[in-house]
Amino acid sequence: MKRMHVRTLLAVGIVAAFAGLVALSYVQTAPDPADSQYYLARPLSETGASNRVAGIYLNYRLIDTLLEVLVFSVAVLGVRYYLRKSDNIDLPDLSESEVVQTAVSFLSPLALLLCMFFAIFGHISPGGGFAAGVIAASALLYVAIAYGMTATEARWDPRRLAFAEKAILLSLLIFILVPAFVGKSPLTDLLPKGTPGDLLSSGSILIYNMLIAAKVFIGAWLVIAAFALHRGEL
Amino acid sequence: MIARWILLALLPVVAVIALSQPRRLSAIIGMGLFSLLLAAVYLLMHAPDVAITEATIGAALVTAIYVLAIRRTGRLIVVADEAPGLIAREGKQIVGLEYDILVGFAREVGLDLSIQFVPLRRVRWLIDHHEADMGAGGIIPLAVEASNLMSTPQHLASGVYRFEAKSLPRETARPAGIAKIAETAPDYEGYFSDLLTHDRNGTLPTVATSLDLARVLALGRTGAALHGLDRMDGSYGYAFLIAQKRVELQRDYAGYLTRLRDSGQLETLIGRHFS
Repeated sequence: MKRMHVRTLLAVGIVAAFAGLVALSYVQTAPDPADSQYYLARPLSETGASNRVAGIYLNYRLIDTLLEVLVFSVAVLGVRYYLRKSDNIDLPDLSESEVVQTAVSFLSPLALLLCMFFAIFGHISPGGGFAAGVIAASALLYVAIAYGMTATEARWDPRRLAFAEKAILLSLLIFILVPAFVGKSPLTDLLPKGTPGDLLSSGSILIYNMLIAAKVFIGAWLVIAAFALHRGEL
Repeated sequence: MIARWILLALLPVVAVIALSQPRRLSAIIGMGLFSLLLAAVYLLMHAPDVAITEATIGAALVTAIYVLAIRRTGRLIVVADEAPGLIAREGKQIVGLEYDILVGFAREVGLDLSIQFVPLRRVRWLIDHHEADMGAGGIIPLAVEASNLMSTPQHLASGVYRFEAKSLPRETARPAGIAKIAETAPDYEGYFSDLLTHDRNGTLPTVATSLDLARVLALGRTGAALHGLDRMDGSYGYAFLIAQKRVELQRDYAGYLTRLRDSGQLETLIGRHFS
């Protein structure tokens, strides 16, 4: 009883400290709502994306997004490098009960559908490549938890996917950096800008969203697979 | 607007609840709930993109990864000596009633069951020194356990058998310190498998002071000569040992055993191993 008390007090303290820090930083550097007007005042046809957020991070701030993708790639690389060796014994395949398996087999196709929706319509409605990739990787992770890693790995072989991940990163780099180096603006107009709100609009944002979704999906799955390999099983 | 403030006010409450959970799985679910609430706040602040990202990463991916983490790293270390029917090796497998109970319990609390076979007299010592979480293997707890130990509720009735002290040769009389240990049951030197050797040599009473029903039956099946063994009066039962400080483990296990008994599964398990 007394121990429970200490735990709760500690929890309250930690939450209060973090909330205080956030409040303090907000008071000192509160964002000015007028800042957003800079982007909102620009015509929608400039990016062609009716989702303003996608327009900012895949057009105006494309290089920032590229660096973000690079950071993620480095993280995946690091995890795969350090979890490469394993001295574990072969642990038995843990698979969950039929209830979990049924729930997962019902939900994971829906999650994959949601992933595709967010990737393909990311420039029109909320979503985007990052969220789409994470959704797909989570869906696959839940499949692996329910059916065991061995069965899931057989279908989604990490070694083959690792190659695809690097290929996507390379193509993103070429897409974005080569035009910049030859003195032109980064490739944002590979597809026509079109009418904002149409599926085929917003230039290259559609392509970037799909590439990022695939990249994040594979990257997250590789991390999970490395984790499983290191421990012998999920 | 009001909804946003209510959700914002709920955030620290949920954070405190998540942090103060004694069970790891509950804490993880609390964290997922926190992320979900935060996503709702973002949505109400007209930032659907951020809300989607928070929900997918915070509530789905991170929760799943934490669930995985406790699945294998959270280990339930059980020390036991073999007791046929309760917990014993059979080829590469471990079988028995206590083993089945422990497997179910470990799965429920999200811990990885790790069984280590040790000599009987090491069981209490290892738990006392926090080298192991639970002691098993046909333990019949004392009426009053040593100060640092606690017994769980009984899972199976048993009996205690004791060698008569007078049947012991004079020269092998135990030193005074052992007298207290002799109150426990079962009590013998080394492993249960050693008893079989001693039985063949006829030296069983020199290493064992008391035995429990499961071991007496197992020895009897091997044709052991168990003369001089008296059944003690009173009702005894098997239980596990847990360190006194592990209040949460004790409470979780007691709850699990109650549910196992109420659902009739315990009866089924006992029937499977002792029919």
